[in-house]
Amino acid sequence: MTVLIVSLTLRQLLGQRRTWLLVLLALAPVLLAVTFRFTTDGTRDAREFVADGVMRNVMVNLVLALAALIFGTAALGQEFEDGTAPYLFAKPLARWRIALAKVLAAWLGTAGVVGVSVIATGLIALAGGPMDLIIPAFVVAMALGALAYASLFVCLSVLFDRALIIGLIYVFIWEALITNLAPGAAYLSVRAYTIGIARALADTPASTFSAQLSGPASFAALALVVVLTSAYATYRLGSLELARRV
Amino acid sequence: MTATPVRGAAAPPPVPRDAVIELRAVSHWYGNVVAVNDVSFALRPGITGLLGPNGAGKSTLLHLIAGFLRPSAGTVDAFGEPTWRHPELYRRVGIVQEREAVYRSLSGREFVRLNARLHGLDDADAATTRAIARVDLAAAADRPTGTYSKGMKQRIKIAAATVHDPEVLLLDEPFSGADPRQRLQMMEMLREMGAEGRTILFSSHILEEMERLGERVLVIVTGRLAASGDFRAIRRLMTDRPHSFAIQSSNNRAFAQALLAEPAVRGVELVDGRLVVRTDDFGRFTVAAPRVARDAAITISELYPLDESLESVFEYLVAR
Repeated sequence: MTVLIVSLTLRQLLGQRRTWLLVLLALAPVLLAVTFRFTTDGTRDAREFVADGVMRNVMVNLVLALAALIFGTAALGQEFEDGTAPYLFAKPLARWRIALAKVLAAWLGTAGVVGVSVIATGLIALAGGPMDLIIPAFVVAMALGALAYASLFVCLSVLFDRALIIGLIYVFIWEALITNLAPGAAYLSVRAYTIGIARALADTPASTFSAQLSGPASFAALALVVVLTSAYATYRLGSLELARRV
Repeated sequence: MTATPVRGAAAPPPVPRDAVIELRAVSHWYGNVVAVNDVSFALRPGITGLLGPNGAGKSTLLHLIAGFLRPSAGTVDAFGEPTWRHPELYRRVGIVQEREAVYRSLSGREFVRLNARLHGLDDADAATTRAIARVDLAAAADRPTGTYSKGMKQRIKIAAATVHDPEVLLLDEPFSGADPRQRLQMMEMLREMGAEGRTILFSSHILEEMERLGERVLVIVTGRLAASGDFRAIRRLMTDRPHSFAIQSSNNRAFAQALLAEPAVRGVELVDGRLVVRTDDFGRFTVAAPRVARDAAITISELYPLDESLESVFEYLVAR
């Protein structure tokens, strides 16, 4: 049953025009890598360019966050908006199953778009030089980050009609601004967890890119976010007055 | 069965022994707005119409029965169990929403099969074929639902809601958007389903739909149950009520005097240069008025009812 809802949701998500805009956005790092390959004079370390310039600043900060925001808020939110939610909710289905399926669909959509971009970008820019586990480190970190974002944004869509706007504020005000001004805020930032995990997994010098949080702290916080937001989304779905949302 | 106008403080009507759905003193409010106010009734197998003007609370009532809303007060039970927070009930209940929403990228067949599979049916394909045949949509079943007309969407929604063969079917304005032929077809289908012993509740604000389909009728006005019972008896209540007509004639004063002699006329007033006539008997008045005018050599230039809107009919029922 979960697989059925996941595949239905993925079909809906991939049919949206904004998904294709996301795919275009995910192509931007690949284009950056291609440009780097053809224009570099060898003075800049490719590892630093990829890890810090592209993966950290473009992929994690922008592509991952936006993809997860769009897929996460639409996975369930779109059902409310389109009025199709009763087809799921007027069924003898446990609410945790619906929440789980929506998180999985948002996660798979996000990880799919971001994953391909990460691998292509890394392979193009790092080809012929030391790779220092940068590609697998960011693939794993972004897959985990995508899961945390997906569960967070699905939860927001259960709680609020305007989950997309609230998510945008979280990504571009809290994560991009506040965590830089108040480093402690990084403990509440999926972006910081993702970079922390990538930093812990990559076998590259500390100078190539830095993280605000350690690997273990990032992983623990990320796991906590996934569990808490999924559980809370399930709990709230159980008492959701559907007629107020469709 | 007779029609029972319901007064606010009256005791709830007795619950039939074969009641499938039962509402007891149910209220629901959105913030400060009371959408449903102290409503009690029971539904048994067969077709029941939920009649009321737009905004009367019909959809809210259906949503309460469907378990889509929590009652602010009172209880809503189906098969003896609360409908709120009880997903298992959906094995026995089918719901057709008023909104046109369908998964637009799926074909009609995929959409119905999806519903069958979400219900966990053993043979989803066979159930899908049966449900699509019931709504007579087999020819268009493999087209994306996004290309369907409004009437076709209604039918595929009914197929999806009945694919698991529910004992209870709740339909919110099921005939809106359907052309007359589709409307008759759907009515026939619901009649058959009702005759099979299912409990069917449909909402409408159109009297004619009730007349054709509703064996029993619940009349909802401003969130309250205004009347319940046999449709014909309720229809009689509606037509026997006092009516007002505005008349413009060549000699309003003389016409007023002549009309007052008619037994069907209860009162006449001259308001803003025109006559306002009140009558208890719609039929007799409409026959008498031209006769009286002719006898008194008066020409009627305008004659129209002042309170024929459905809302005014319902308001009368509430006030009784």
